Amino acid sequence: MAMTEQISMNRAGAEAPSLPRRSRNPTFWLTAVLGVVLAVLVLPSVAILIARSVMITNPDASFGGLTIAHFTRFFTTTGVLTSTYNSIVFAVFSTVVALLFGGAQAWLVERTNMRFKPLAYMTTIISLGTPYILYVGAWLFLLGKAGPINDVFRMVTGSRGVLIDVYSMFGMVLIEGFLWSPLVFLLLSSTFRVANADLEEAARMSGANVFQTIWNVSIKMAMPAILALALFVFIRAVEAFEVPAMVGMPGGIDVLTTDVYKSIKETIPPDLGYASAYSVVLLVIVGILLYFYGKLAKNAGKYSSITGKSFRPRPFNLGPYRWVAEALVIFNFVLLLLLPLLALLWLALQPFMRAIRPSAFSAMSFHNFATVFSSEYYRDLAVNTILIGAIAATAAVVITFFVGWLSARRKPGGVVLDQLATAPLIFPGIVMGVAFLMVFLSVPVPIYGTLWALAIAYTVRYLPYGLRYSYAGVLQIHHELEEAAGVAGAGPLTMLRRIMAPLLSPALVSAWLFIFLIATKELAVAALLAGPNSQVVAVGMYDLWVNGQGGELAAFGLVWAAVMTCLAFVFYAFARNKA
Amino acid sequence: MKSVANAMLAATVAGLVCWASSARAASDELIAAAKTEGKVVWYTTMIVDQAVRPIAAAFEKKYPGVKVEFARGNSGDMALKVINEGQARNRIGDVFDGTGTYSSIRAADMVAPYTPDSAASLAPEFKDPKGYWHAENFYYLTAAYNTDQVTAEEAPKTYEDLLDPKWKGQMAWAVTPEPTGAAGFVGNILMTMGEEKGMDYLRKLAAQKITNMTSSQRTVLDRTILGESPIALMIFNHHVPISQEKGAPVEWIRMEPLVSSASLIGLVKDAPHPNAGKLLIDFILSDEGQEAVAAAGYLPSNPNVKIPHSELLPTGPKPFKANFMSPEVVDENLKKWIEIVNKTFM
Repeated sequence: MAMTEQISMNRAGAEAPSLPRRSRNPTFWLTAVLGVVLAVLVLPSVAILIARSVMITNPDASFGGLTIAHFTRFFTTTGVLTSTYNSIVFAVFSTVVALLFGGAQAWLVERTNMRFKPLAYMTTIISLGTPYILYVGAWLFLLGKAGPINDVFRMVTGSRGVLIDVYSMFGMVLIEGFLWSPLVFLLLSSTFRVANADLEEAARMSGANVFQTIWNVSIKMAMPAILALALFVFIRAVEAFEVPAMVGMPGGIDVLTTDVYKSIKETIPPDLGYASAYSVVLLVIVGILLYFYGKLAKNAGKYSSITGKSFRPRPFNLGPYRWVAEALVIFNFVLLLLLPLLALLWLALQPFMRAIRPSAFSAMSFHNFATVFSSEYYRDLAVNTILIGAIAATAAVVITFFVGWLSARRKPGGVVLDQLATAPLIFPGIVMGVAFLMVFLSVPVPIYGTLWALAIAYTVRYLPYGLRYSYAGVLQIHHELEEAAGVAGAGPLTMLRRIMAPLLSPALVSAWLFIFLIATKELAVAALLAGPNSQVVAVGMYDLWVNGQGGELAAFGLVWAAVMTCLAFVFYAFARNKA
Repeated sequence: MKSVANAMLAATVAGLVCWASSARAASDELIAAAKTEGKVVWYTTMIVDQAVRPIAAAFEKKYPGVKVEFARGNSGDMALKVINEGQARNRIGDVFDGTGTYSSIRAADMVAPYTPDSAASLAPEFKDPKGYWHAENFYYLTAAYNTDQVTAEEAPKTYEDLLDPKWKGQMAWAVTPEPTGAAGFVGNILMTMGEEKGMDYLRKLAAQKITNMTSSQRTVLDRTILGESPIALMIFNHHVPISQEKGAPVEWIRMEPLVSSASLIGLVKDAPHPNAGKLLIDFILSDEGQEAVAAAGYLPSNPNVKIPHSELLPTGPKPFKANFMSPEVVDENLKKWIEIVNKTFM
């Protein structure tokens, strides 16, 4: 359907060089085709949101008449200020946590001679394959009032209180930071992997010690990429939903997205007008942030270090400090992977959610696993999810490969395409779900409730992610390769196919892998779009979560995470070989 | 305010009188028409693995050739689906249920009246005379406590007891926009104590810092079982024996009056499979369908069907008082109650 059309349109674009080059400019046509595809994918959802934000919602849930009441209400509600403040604090500190955990690990793994590197990849790949709900649930259990950490605290101190109140800003920041550190690791590791080692070696030879070299050379060289990524994670944390909903709301901490969610889900009928107005304001805020992001990204090219010359980096010798790096990676492994998985295993083996007590060990059984394996429902969920994830990842990567190149090379129209493909970032998932629901219900094609509806929405949602990979990848490849191709007589499309695509393939495969893994755990969009025949894993898990079937959720989640991890390793091995 | 005990008594009498008619199966014409349609799409609020799948399986067994497809969510989710599809004139769902679904979609004029033969056994309070809705099952909501952390003597017995400072930060409830969420608690207090005293009570209760959960009542009870909130408010009493049988340290409290609510089932207007939809409604309200509801641990609306834990009912061995959140009451007040929850407790 629409999706395959887009893919074939892009393919057709790639074949264009066989046409006489005099009569048409292939770059222009590529831009035009992509422009139409992106406009069709992205603009209707934005348009419907803006329309709804200035329309009166009637009691019978129909729309009619213009109003600015929704906006007036937004700007006069005092709670909005508190939520804005909370959103900023939450986003800033979770970005810092994610950068510290993910960034340090990325540099150590990619650029140094430390051991246990596979452990870091395993931690990242498995946490990428683990759905957020599962992850957040495990952390809430571990850090909760009845969890083992507070249990140990009470045992040691004899107090009746708690060491950590997880339902707090602190808990939110910690968990969100943990959730995003694998993304930071993946994105920064590709930056560090292709960084030129000559400069680090020169610094060491000129007498700089390990820390001076890291600070003055490695970090400075990666700074444009780090800043751009930091802003990206910040924006994503502003629109984050799972952690604010599962951790913040029970703790009474509202952020902007949970305000939107509440206006949709906690009133009957849903207050779509106010939610739309709220989203439009968010759209403007994020738009401003994206403007600065664009400025940062513009400078990112100045340290591009893959040139036509050798670009195989050599590992940096940490010398006597190697154990510090290794301890950090092991600490990450225990914190981000081992403890949550053990917590899930405990919950999966218990007949109901309970604290870890010696007396509860006798109650362990595989009953929850038996249910999961014998149910056709879970198999359908898995098949649907993998199918949708693969379609969305493929479509998003193909589209953003071209957009990334056009934008990074400042081709005419490239900036517009970049902005179109980045626009979905302004949507909190829950709002995108509502917007697409309305779009699909308004089109004459019976697409609502099918797997295609989800595949299209996911594609749009993950365009910005694909774009970050391809854009950053293109920036790392020096102009001179393209100029060489041009001198040798290749048109831009031949150059893209023969030079850019092979050189970018590590970035593109990473993008595919990343989008696939995060699409398969997408909840907020799917919650509203999944129909009776298009249920996906995240929605099924959400049902189990809200129904309070924590044991079955943990069992299914572990099985699913295991499957996703196998897939992730296959793709990872592929990416590694290509690189 | 009607007491459920009386209603249930009336229902029992009515049920006996109508025994014969309720046993009658759906008409052959309806069955044939439903088979031509081939499937029915059910927007349900019941829990999938516990209730929806066994009920669907029983239906498909009885009427082979009519497949049941379903989507599950809370009343708000289901109402949103029906309303959106209606506005886009792209109908998918045939049958809805839930404690709050009906009043939202009736306001949008998206419900079709239908009175199945099997509804004859329902008490008049639990069905609409015009056939817009019928009660599918009952819920009784009350407080519960963790028996490892709180003794039976210590546990709060009355609404006033909840204001004891020792429960500050120790309670949780679900703030889903349904009469079975915090909004229903607010409604119950206002109905019992009156506007002025009720609001005064609610403000004092808000100072107790109740944990607001956005997930289901089931997760609130689980939180109590886990020991994170020793006291749970507005939980379904039928969930307690289900957990006790697995060994969970939990007990429910007869905090009178309890909140009672009914999940209302109805036919969507302009449903794409109207006959299959009617057949499903007829089946769920029949003795056979209600047996499946009871087997799932739910409390059936059909008085002919026996349940294993009769103490869960206001008419059981230990009777209790309950305020029934009838569709009329919900229609009129739910929005206001939700606003009070949002303003006072969040």
